[in-house]
Amino acid sequence: MSFLSPRKSWLGLLLGSAAFFSAAAVQAAEPVLQTEQSDVITLKPYSPHTILVEDAVYAHNKDGRVDVVDADRGVLLGMVQAAYNPNVVLAPDASRFYVGETTWARGNRGERNDLLAEYDAQTLKITSDEKLPSRALVTPKRNDLAISADGARVYVYQMSPANAVEVVDTKEHKVSQTVEIPGCALAYAWGNAGFSSLCADGTLTNVSLGADGKASVTHSAPFFEPDKDGIFEQSPTVAKDGSTYFISYSGKVYPTTLSANSTVQAPWSLQEGAGLKAASNASAPFEVTWRPGGWQMAALHKNTHELYVLMHRGTFWTHKDSGTEVWVYNTETHKRIRRMPLKVASTMVGVTQDENPLMFTADEDGSFFISDARTGKLLRTMKGLGTSLIFTVAPGEG
Amino acid sequence: MLPSENTQKTEQGASLFDRVTESVLRRFAGHTSRRGVVARLGGLAAAVPLFPLLPVSRASAATPAAGKVAAKAPSPFAAKAQAKDPNACDYWRYCAIDGNLCTSCGGGVHSCPPGTAPSPTSWIGSCYNPQDGNSYMIAYRDCCGQDSCNEVTCLGTDGDQPSYRPMANNDIIWCFGTGTSEMYNCSTAAVIGKTS
Repeated sequence: MSFLSPRKSWLGLLLGSAAFFSAAAVQAAEPVLQTEQSDVITLKPYSPHTILVEDAVYAHNKDGRVDVVDADRGVLLGMVQAAYNPNVVLAPDASRFYVGETTWARGNRGERNDLLAEYDAQTLKITSDEKLPSRALVTPKRNDLAISADGARVYVYQMSPANAVEVVDTKEHKVSQTVEIPGCALAYAWGNAGFSSLCADGTLTNVSLGADGKASVTHSAPFFEPDKDGIFEQSPTVAKDGSTYFISYSGKVYPTTLSANSTVQAPWSLQEGAGLKAASNASAPFEVTWRPGGWQMAALHKNTHELYVLMHRGTFWTHKDSGTEVWVYNTETHKRIRRMPLKVASTMVGVTQDENPLMFTADEDGSFFISDARTGKLLRTMKGLGTSLIFTVAPGEG
Repeated sequence: MLPSENTQKTEQGASLFDRVTESVLRRFAGHTSRRGVVARLGGLAAAVPLFPLLPVSRASAATPAAGKVAAKAPSPFAAKAQAKDPNACDYWRYCAIDGNLCTSCGGGVHSCPPGTAPSPTSWIGSCYNPQDGNSYMIAYRDCCGQDSCNEVTCLGTDGDQPSYRPMANNDIIWCFGTGTSEMYNCSTAAVIGKTS
């Protein structure tokens, strides 16, 4: 009997609680949930901090993707599929973007489809899905795909294995011409109707696209020696005025203005700009010093003339090593103006183009880091955003 | 020294060696573009024997003159390379490899895993074998037709040049002419000759 009493009191407590909670529910006047309609989010027009992040997914390349990220909040806004060593460019007004990708009809077999997909940047709906003659299958570098300053042309680098660039008319959604660039690679867009490519003999090929649809080609004089000190394919470039900073493995910066007759200025040294001795090239590969490296190893903030470069300590031939610091240079004075150690070494660096720029870095495990570009202070981490984050695209870069 | 400075020197009456070098390089450049045409015409079979030849001259041009006796390790990678474990990234043949080791994917150092096909074309490295003190030309032939194997991945960058120097670039998917989907599965590292 002595146990009954506690049992009763427990029962009473339970009943009392139930009554209390149901009464509380009524008092809160929680509305009955209404039937919901499924809908789809439409993104706001892009802010300077709405960026695209290319994830090549090296572990299973056919499943690449492009993420749309709100860098102010560090959240993923959406993504599109981007298969097999894909690439992406953003239209100048950020209203749409283009993904170059490759699929096979039956996954890993069947008919090969090289594609240029056009997406509405706010709905992420595909607005054109164009089949290309071919495209280069190579671990993606930004300039395997390029867009003209006015967005009317997209340039697709092709290696089949002959070298060519396909010119896509973005209004007509068709390849208007294919320009052969023997011995050269990549496409650095300049103006509305031209691009240049880097060549095996240390020159530039400059291609002007005439109104008559014909391409005229010029070649620059050799200005670098690929055997001894190659130029990074990921060197930053601006389509609007053709200004490009070709950076060599050792750390020479060649200020270049791309055009039908590209001009290349004498190089300056990243190391000398930081008060160090210029670094050795392949002739003395064992010299350990600060060197540029990584995948997307540099970025440009146009308005302030600031060049962001991932740097690490190493020998020559460490040009793909992750950067442990970002060094920022003024491209007018050739001096290092900031040195920002990274908490986590990065394979890539990107910056936004506004007055309050953000800087992006990523580690090899797919985490994404958003920092204040003016101080290097880490603001947000998007842990495990993807798998192989290899470059960013921000509005206004071109 | 910049090539443009070289040119100026030639105009001022440079050595015969400079002129010969220039002539050879120009001929070589012409040859490179013809290779593309050959390939486009579907003449891969004809082009394949050319591939191993091209990088030999490039690599030897890039490598400092070898000593009279046994060459010393010519690069930072070579100085630390080992010759025992082909499943490790510091295995001597992998000085310029980029990607998945076929040895970890069911293949071998020069064998593709079952279900894949070897590429007849490749990029080429020059690697130093610490066991015999010789450097060898290594053809990094990709195995193709299945997606990335992704067991042991390595990135060797000795002599790795950008893709505008395709025969010395390890970013390109070397699956041309395999008769498969040209999907990259893994990389082998076959010895194709001695360089020292």
